[in-house]
Amino acid sequence: MFCCSSTTWVTLAAVTTFALIVADHAGADPTAADAVSRATFFETRIQPLITEHCSACHSRKPGRKLKGGLSMDDPREVLQGGDSGPAIVPGHPQQSLLMQAIRWEDDDLQMPPKKRLTNAVVESFARWVRSMEPAKSDDVAADKGNELYDLTKARRHWAFRPLAKSTTPSVKDDARVRTPIDRYVLARLDASGLSLSPDADRATLIRRASLDVIGLPPTPAEVEAFVEDASPDAYEKLVDRLLASPHYGERWGRHWLDLARYADSAGFHDDLDRPNAWRYRDYVIDSLNADKPYGQFIREQVAGDELAPQSVEAWIATGFQRNGPSNENNVAPGFREQYRLDQLDGIVSTIGTVFMGVTLGCARCHDHKTDPFRQQDYYAVLAVFNSSLYVDRRLDEEGKAFQSLTLTAEEMLDKKDKQKPTNKPSAMALTDKSAKPRTTHLLYRGSPQMRGPVVQPALPAALAHFAPVRFQALGNRARTTGLRLAFANWIASPDNALTWRVLANRLWQHHFGRGIVATPDNFGYSGDAPSHPALLDYLAQQLIASGGRLKPVHKQIMMSSVYRQASTPTTIGLKQDAPNRWLWRMPKRRLEAEVIRDSILRASGNLNVKLGGPGIKPRIAHEVIDQSQRNKWPVVEDERPQHWRRSVYIYIKRQLRMPMLELFDAPTSSTSCAKRPVSTVPTQALTLLNGYFVNKQSRYFALRVMAEAGDDPADQVRHAIRVALGREATTQEASEGASYVSRQRRYHQAAGKSKRETDKWALGDYCVVLFNSSQFVYVD
Amino acid sequence: MNDARVRSRLMEEKGVSRREMLAAATGGFGTLALHAMLDRDGLLAAGNPSDQDIAAINPMAARVPHFAPKATSVIFLFMYGGPSQVDTFDPKPALKQWEGKEIPVFKKKHAFFKETKATAMPSPYAFAKHGQAGIEISDRYPNLAKVADELCVVRSMHCQSNNHGPALFQMNTGFVVPGHPSMGSWLTYGLGSVSQNLPGYVVLLDQRGAPVNGTLNWTSGFMPAAYQGVPFRPTGSPILNLGLADGVSAKQQRARLALLQRWNERYAAANPGESELSARIASYELAYRMQMHAPDVVDLSKESAATRAVYGMDNKTTQFFGRNCLLARRLVERGVRFVQVYSGGNEGPTAWDAHKDLKGNHDRQCAQTDQPIAALLTDLKARGLLDTTLVVWGGEFGRMPTHQGSSGRDHNPYGFTMWMAGGGVKPGTIYGASDEFGYAATENKVHVHDLHATILHLLGINHKKLTYRHLGREFRLTDVAGNVVHDVLA
Repeated sequence: MFCCSSTTWVTLAAVTTFALIVADHAGADPTAADAVSRATFFETRIQPLITEHCSACHSRKPGRKLKGGLSMDDPREVLQGGDSGPAIVPGHPQQSLLMQAIRWEDDDLQMPPKKRLTNAVVESFARWVRSMEPAKSDDVAADKGNELYDLTKARRHWAFRPLAKSTTPSVKDDARVRTPIDRYVLARLDASGLSLSPDADRATLIRRASLDVIGLPPTPAEVEAFVEDASPDAYEKLVDRLLASPHYGERWGRHWLDLARYADSAGFHDDLDRPNAWRYRDYVIDSLNADKPYGQFIREQVAGDELAPQSVEAWIATGFQRNGPSNENNVAPGFREQYRLDQLDGIVSTIGTVFMGVTLGCARCHDHKTDPFRQQDYYAVLAVFNSSLYVDRRLDEEGKAFQSLTLTAEEMLDKKDKQKPTNKPSAMALTDKSAKPRTTHLLYRGSPQMRGPVVQPALPAALAHFAPVRFQALGNRARTTGLRLAFANWIASPDNALTWRVLANRLWQHHFGRGIVATPDNFGYSGDAPSHPALLDYLAQQLIASGGRLKPVHKQIMMSSVYRQASTPTTIGLKQDAPNRWLWRMPKRRLEAEVIRDSILRASGNLNVKLGGPGIKPRIAHEVIDQSQRNKWPVVEDERPQHWRRSVYIYIKRQLRMPMLELFDAPTSSTSCAKRPVSTVPTQALTLLNGYFVNKQSRYFALRVMAEAGDDPADQVRHAIRVALGREATTQEASEGASYVSRQRRYHQAAGKSKRETDKWALGDYCVVLFNSSQFVYVD
Repeated sequence: MNDARVRSRLMEEKGVSRREMLAAATGGFGTLALHAMLDRDGLLAAGNPSDQDIAAINPMAARVPHFAPKATSVIFLFMYGGPSQVDTFDPKPALKQWEGKEIPVFKKKHAFFKETKATAMPSPYAFAKHGQAGIEISDRYPNLAKVADELCVVRSMHCQSNNHGPALFQMNTGFVVPGHPSMGSWLTYGLGSVSQNLPGYVVLLDQRGAPVNGTLNWTSGFMPAAYQGVPFRPTGSPILNLGLADGVSAKQQRARLALLQRWNERYAAANPGESELSARIASYELAYRMQMHAPDVVDLSKESAATRAVYGMDNKTTQFFGRNCLLARRLVERGVRFVQVYSGGNEGPTAWDAHKDLKGNHDRQCAQTDQPIAALLTDLKARGLLDTTLVVWGGEFGRMPTHQGSSGRDHNPYGFTMWMAGGGVKPGTIYGASDEFGYAATENKVHVHDLHATILHLLGINHKKLTYRHLGREFRLTDVAGNVVHDVLA
């Protein structure tokens, strides 16, 4: 089954469910007498008018095409409509295309085209349309009956229930229980006759924890210290150290930036720079490093301008709503309102999936096909955001204070016809135009040309039970409507079980590679059910209990035996639960694109750990730059230390992503990405084997190893493995590697290279192999 | 709905056994036991693997289509910038009668540029009927006119944006906003690729540069990166990083690979449940084969001088587009699923975007492409490839029949012309019509979604059934619309 997307294209939904007011349908009407009189009215008054004014073009005749695909031979066909959709909205002349056409309201649609009808005739048509029984629903979804939208049923759905207070289950083998999390997982394993795998060895564990929490492999010294630390809290100290590292924000911030569809360019036609977008990226990193309560993180991103009008940081946070692709400088005049609604849809849909885990955006054009959201719900939430506009608020040179205490007209981007982002330090933000809310209409089929009734700001009905909300104007002195803040408070409420379940699932997903709910962006009826529902609720409650701070829950997860177990498959495990749904071992995972690049830089000794600031533009091959059109990437012949920063700081150009990151499944940033695919393709192999970056860094890596391990090939190989894989080489690896390096030395020596060059290139060849090895790009 | 059920239904309908399906799925994938991997992942037990399941393991595994396909490959000749329908395939004598007069259908708000006028601008070109079918073609296409009987001209195209960026997105991905997979991605996702030594989806750019939107025109969007279009450079090493790194010899490379595969096999053997580790080994084998085969594809010296001349490679005007057309044929011959060839790149004057001097622009653009396209159709036919190769010609929209300035034409999404040839379309056909001025499509209108649905249909895919789950919903190339245009099917 399908859900419509958020584009402007609208289908001609077959609207066939109303009771038609024609003679043979009279029985369907509440009172037959009314029906008969209306049928009579149609036959005596309307039918002749249609014949006289419309049938020349809108009647089925052999060998002739219907104009606009519309037949008016039968009222049912008028309802069904033509190329532009249903011609009539029963009961609502104002919303009926037929009436707009015969009133000549729209330049594009004037019927009959040659001669305008008299007012009396137009009024007759209006009376006819008004007399028709209004549709029970705008959409075919109605033929599923009301069951889908039954709120009682919705509130029983696992995700929409209040959090369940459970007692931690008892399990067969208490010996493996380190935290309550272990009980939830072990209880399920017990039921399948499985158990946890033994603890992973120390070297494996520190590599796993480091890559997981900070996105960088441990240094050989860190591995050694941890392996040799005999104190009982050695592992806990490791976890604490990692969570306190500023690299934690860079690593986990990247997960959030995937959701926030963050990029540094606008994406459409000109792919304009967003010179201030990086401030939002840094806001995310800083917030995570500070362990900002999630409730505050939500409020700032949805309504920072209302929450803390004097705070630069809060305004920057609203950049969450500005991150999507935009085309401000290049919208044709006739498409402006549609464009504005598309932009708003990007906000509403993204907030729906990111914070609430529901596909509310599916209800833009019609009632949701699989989840309990009506079109009304979508527009009620849209009404919350409908008064907003984009602003670039000027900051001082340090980016710490507003230049003006009040928002100036120049900063409000809707004032300008052709908008271009400013190069001056600014907060790329969103705020309300004024304190007076803009009126929101339900739009049939999502079209601004098909206005329905006015819709007031409200919560989606199926979710409104979690916590109360007061959508109330802030009063005369307010500058904004207060609607977004009220909505943000509701999302962030500790009583909103959905919010906390969604967050708990995201944490679990990034620690284990798969969420407790495998569809992290969809907790609705059409999403997957949780594998461990009680565990999900437990974690959600832990998050609430910690005041919305993430780090205590990260720690609890990482301290569990579930997290600390080995990843090696067992025969019984593969037999009973091959997909490892019940977590009888730690899942092995391919490193993400950024982590692969950062790990290579860390190994080569070149990683530049500078934090924050504008995006960097490392080398992209000439021929790839040629594939973009406007606003081109600079040509970099050779990378320098300023290019060797962590990948989260690479400028994200929508029309030309870094090929290496793109190949390893970095998201497009056009829509929110809750779960990256993991693809394995030959072009990845080509990039890691033949690409400039890997070959260059491999030789830097070789120089580093030569300096640290001396001349002997076996020593070099052992040290290279220690640095790259965080463990000691096996005897086989050492001897195999040594003979490989020796062979390569003979080859390079024969080619006339100096001793140092020979050693560098020979070991460099070996390092390329290391960076390509599955052990390097996977974490055990 | 779970795609596994679609697959299951398909197999029931076609009487395809699981074994056959898997044989097809593993075709060319070395010794890799896809079956074992699917089994391991519980996908066979759960019914049958979905497109998305197979994609996760071997993205290019050849798949069973929904029904018997007419075509197996597509060559999309993309006339970037928007060719003018009334100056190519949709003659409008009324424009002569109305010359300089305001045509009643024109609406100011339809124009993209302010200086666009309502006054009719007749075509500077003469039209004649060609072939037995009497297809009307302008005199800028003398060579194409000779193969008129191969064409199925659709004069009633329409789309939803009069702006290059969104319109290109729509023609390529179905949506006017970025982020969705392009048609070539959908096809390689749905069908896999016959060629295991080449990418399934190749893009050949105009030598003058890329179209607006850049790489987003051939993105795989939210699908795995495996399905994105791979731009081929026309000379030398066609794919990025296909050639050896600087200072690395073939001998060294072989030594590297030998050591690497030994390691990776050892690691995979120690982790029997991890199908991705085996897929990784296979990906290096494929990369190696690609290194062997891809340079051969672009080596046009393997073609006879006569062939190169027919494509116009010995002529300054036609050499670039001719080379790309010949390359497209060589790619399709080797099993590449979708080849997109751009005419026009970079800014308007070097594309079909004739805002000024329509005649100068279209004289040049037509001259560059006429002979190569005719040669491509003739050559495909002579080699028996035209039956299974669908050739599509068109831009992201058409142009206004009125003046922009004194001699240009503005964008027009309301009505424009595209044509198809080969691959199961009805040859020598004109379908649909625009109004008397060529301003808007009127009869048998064909939306871009309908075109996409039709192309997928010709390749054996039901456009409503080919879905990809993202953000909690099933996406299609055709969004929630699209009707197969059955009247153009042979």
